Amino acid sequence: MATPREKALPAPTGETQPFWEGCRNHELRIQQCSACGQYQFYPRLYCTACMSEQVEWVRASGRGTVLSFTVVYRPVTKAFAEDVPYVVALVTLEEGPQLMSNIIECDPEQVAIGMPVESVFEDWSEDIAVLKFRPVLA
Amino acid sequence: MIASPLHLLDCSLVSDGGAALILTSAERARDFPHPPVYMLGVGEGHSHEHISQARNLTTSAAKEAGERAYAMAGLEPKDIDVAELYDCFTPVVVIELEDLGFCPKGEGGRFVEGGRIELGGELPVNTHGGMMSHCHPGHPGSMFSVTEAVFQLRGTCGPRQVKDANIAFVHAQGGIMSTHCSMILGKEVG
Repeated sequence: MATPREKALPAPTGETQPFWEGCRNHELRIQQCSACGQYQFYPRLYCTACMSEQVEWVRASGRGTVLSFTVVYRPVTKAFAEDVPYVVALVTLEEGPQLMSNIIECDPEQVAIGMPVESVFEDWSEDIAVLKFRPVLA
Repeated sequence: MIASPLHLLDCSLVSDGGAALILTSAERARDFPHPPVYMLGVGEGHSHEHISQARNLTTSAAKEAGERAYAMAGLEPKDIDVAELYDCFTPVVVIELEDLGFCPKGEGGRFVEGGRIELGGELPVNTHGGMMSHCHPGHPGSMFSVTEAVFQLRGTCGPRQVKDANIAFVHAQGGIMSTHCSMILGKEVG
């Protein structure tokens, strides 16, 4: 494994800070509109369904399913050279939003569309933990 | 394997490159030294920025872009003689052929079999080689689709000339299947 330090660390912004704070505590936070109830991710200043600015941060279940995925065999940079092959997936959260992440703790060959997954966090530094997913064991 | 299911030759080239064209009124172009081609229709479609927010992974906003271009031109997919499509990766061509109405959704794979999109086929696609065989300099990539469509309609393509090319379709994308623009060019004023 390349040490996480060789990879560029995510830089939280004003809009994304609550998400990264959640990650540091190993919990997945997404936004919910208090006007219409819609969940959304990635973080935004307003609700994409009703344009309300009353978006609140809530803890998501962390559960979802694989919408689609690829297995990367050619690393994008040297920092990922020892990680290949690794899975990049779109995950549909139980609450509805879709996001991109890695599926870990399993053989890439075992990943399938529709596979149930749950959030897991990798500590990359004292302040930054990175959201990943792993299969839910039956 | 690069990223499943894409092998090396499914991916476009990384290159430098640039192209230029002159856009003017049909009237002004009448006495130019080279015969002009005419822009008959153009349309755009935009669906997302990040691929994680894509509304659909199998139908792209190329559908709206194409529909708008066909409507402006008063033409249909069956009227197209040659198509220069955005081909950053092989599956993109198949999705575009479907979204742009050349075949039904899900039929793109079968559509391209048997030489249909080769020179001499029913719908020659990317006669200059496209991004996978000619070049992909990034943003200017699709400019070569435009210049190739112009050359085809002018009949100056030599060995790769499409016979009786009167109507050409150009499609370009940006982002990750995010932003789409279609253009229909003609040898004659519409």
